Amino acid sequence: HGNPPRGQGELAGPRPPASLAAMFADGTAPGADVESLWRSAWSARCEAKSCQTVRISTVESAAQSHTSRDAGVQTDQSKDAVQDFQQEVRVDYTSLLSFLQRVEDAVIKELNKNWKSRAFDGFEVNWTDQNETVLCLHTLSYPEAQDQNLQVTSVSWNATGSVVACSYGRLEGGDWSTEKSYVCTWNLDRRGLNPQRPDLVVDVPSSVMGLAFHPSQPSLIAGGLFSGELVVWDTSRTEDPVIWRTGLTGDTHTDPVYQVTWLPDAKHRNRSRLLSVSTDGKILVWREEQDGRLALAEGFAMVAQQIPRSTRLKKFPWGEAAVGVTSLSFSHFDPRVFVVGVEGGYSLKCSTAAATPALHGAGGSVPLRAPAELAFSPHSGPIYSVSCSPFHRRVLGIGSGAARWTQNLFLSCGTDGQVHLHSMLQTQPIVSLQLSKKYLFCVRWSPVRPLVFAAASGEGNCNKCFWFTGDVHLFDFEKSSHKPALSLKQAAGERPVYCLEFNVKQSRLLAAGDATGAVRVWQLSSDFTEQGPREMSRLEQLASEVMD
Amino acid sequence: GIPIRTTLDNSTSVQYAGLLHQLTMKARSTVRDIDPQNDLTFLRIRSKKHEIMVAPDKDYLLIVIQNPCE
Repeated sequence: HGNPPRGQGELAGPRPPASLAAMFADGTAPGADVESLWRSAWSARCEAKSCQTVRISTVESAAQSHTSRDAGVQTDQSKDAVQDFQQEVRVDYTSLLSFLQRVEDAVIKELNKNWKSRAFDGFEVNWTDQNETVLCLHTLSYPEAQDQNLQVTSVSWNATGSVVACSYGRLEGGDWSTEKSYVCTWNLDRRGLNPQRPDLVVDVPSSVMGLAFHPSQPSLIAGGLFSGELVVWDTSRTEDPVIWRTGLTGDTHTDPVYQVTWLPDAKHRNRSRLLSVSTDGKILVWREEQDGRLALAEGFAMVAQQIPRSTRLKKFPWGEAAVGVTSLSFSHFDPRVFVVGVEGGYSLKCSTAAATPALHGAGGSVPLRAPAELAFSPHSGPIYSVSCSPFHRRVLGIGSGAARWTQNLFLSCGTDGQVHLHSMLQTQPIVSLQLSKKYLFCVRWSPVRPLVFAAASGEGNCNKCFWFTGDVHLFDFEKSSHKPALSLKQAAGERPVYCLEFNVKQSRLLAAGDATGAVRVWQLSSDFTEQGPREMSRLEQLASEVMD
Repeated sequence: GIPIRTTLDNSTSVQYAGLLHQLTMKARSTVRDIDPQNDLTFLRIRSKKHEIMVAPDKDYLLIVIQNPCE
């Protein structure tokens, strides 16, 4: 008996007798269908019959350029847009010669007269309204942060000079807390500026210790956190301003990041890289990756055994000297040279072109190098801030075969209350000023006057300093080489000022953040913002006063 | 104007040449507007940092920049 196939219904009625069961049994038969002949028939019989046009014969005869070279990019920020002019000019040299002979006498006579002339001595023209006093334009604060007793750890101006951002955190007694902090920005050019309400508040899960706006894109801001991470925010995005972050990988810093700086990228003109500095001794350069991550591009590590020693420095137990890096400043005329200040109290001249690998233990994805080239004479306490002077002169006199560069000057300040003015060519400071008996947290050169700098001072064991009562000191080498030209009291009581920044675009403004959680924007008087006629030469004179 | 011979770098030379050419033309037209018989012989601009002297001609300009020594 065959089993009836499953799925078929059993016969409802009684079973037929066995003989009939063979005849009538359940079964399935495949359906019958007829294939369509229409489509296949058509396509089966398709073939190329004839071509209307004659087949074109091609042969490669010549190429316009067999070597290609990048001539230019339309949207590139290029500094030298000038073509080489000497190829295009067709000059008639005889007429040029006769012209020069004609005017030579007159010009030389005028040059000689000028050189001996006293006609313009003491003659000065006022093009702008003279502003005599320094006043505090705004006092900006974020009340929620102040309620939590957070302090302003860093301020930064953006590329256009109209927005100031500050970061809240804690500089003293920091531990591995996951305390929330804030980054607040205010747009000072807006009409409805409310000093108590920032335009943008970003919540950050950890304390932000260093802040830097992008040098050309006005909405990007980078911050270094207490946990060692770096985050980049885009202030123009409303929902989530975070665009890049390093995350906590094996490459990130193991100590708080105290300073971040944007570096122009040598290969891609309009992209920049981020550089972070931390007390774990590493200086890391990050580049942007596609997925919102920051990946390590190159890095440097400061190890005590690799610091170059100078025989003139006092004997130092180099093995124990701490090399946690607290601050960094790039030279303005050689983009590979930078100066770092370390916790051990000395400053170092370093170069990005260094090739020796660092004796750093921890393995990372990118090998670290030791950048230090020269160690300068130390302070008697950790250095908190270094700043390179933005003023330099072009090369003088290449005639005798030697190009004479001006030395690049930089300032360093630390907890001993002193500011040292160094030249990069020698280890001893040119000038050493005792500005205050308190700690100095930040020092910055003025971007418009070569002889002016500002320093922020604060707490410390101060017995009695009766003449430096202020907290932001403005120093002018033209007026006095020993004491500040002006001292501004930032906050009531003895609350220290932690950070200050000059506004490069609006040269009158100076922002300073203090421990009460407020940022004060000062407007400087015209003494501090207008360059005198002989300041550069005075700076040169100052720099060459102590030379071997 | 196009710089022919210069002791400065390219970009500065081009800048000075272009700007001072226009200024010289303007100065010359000012002098001739006041008195048509007159013409520009020499142009001096004194600034805080240096003095710029321009000797004009039909086809050429000679530009000298001097730091007055005070």
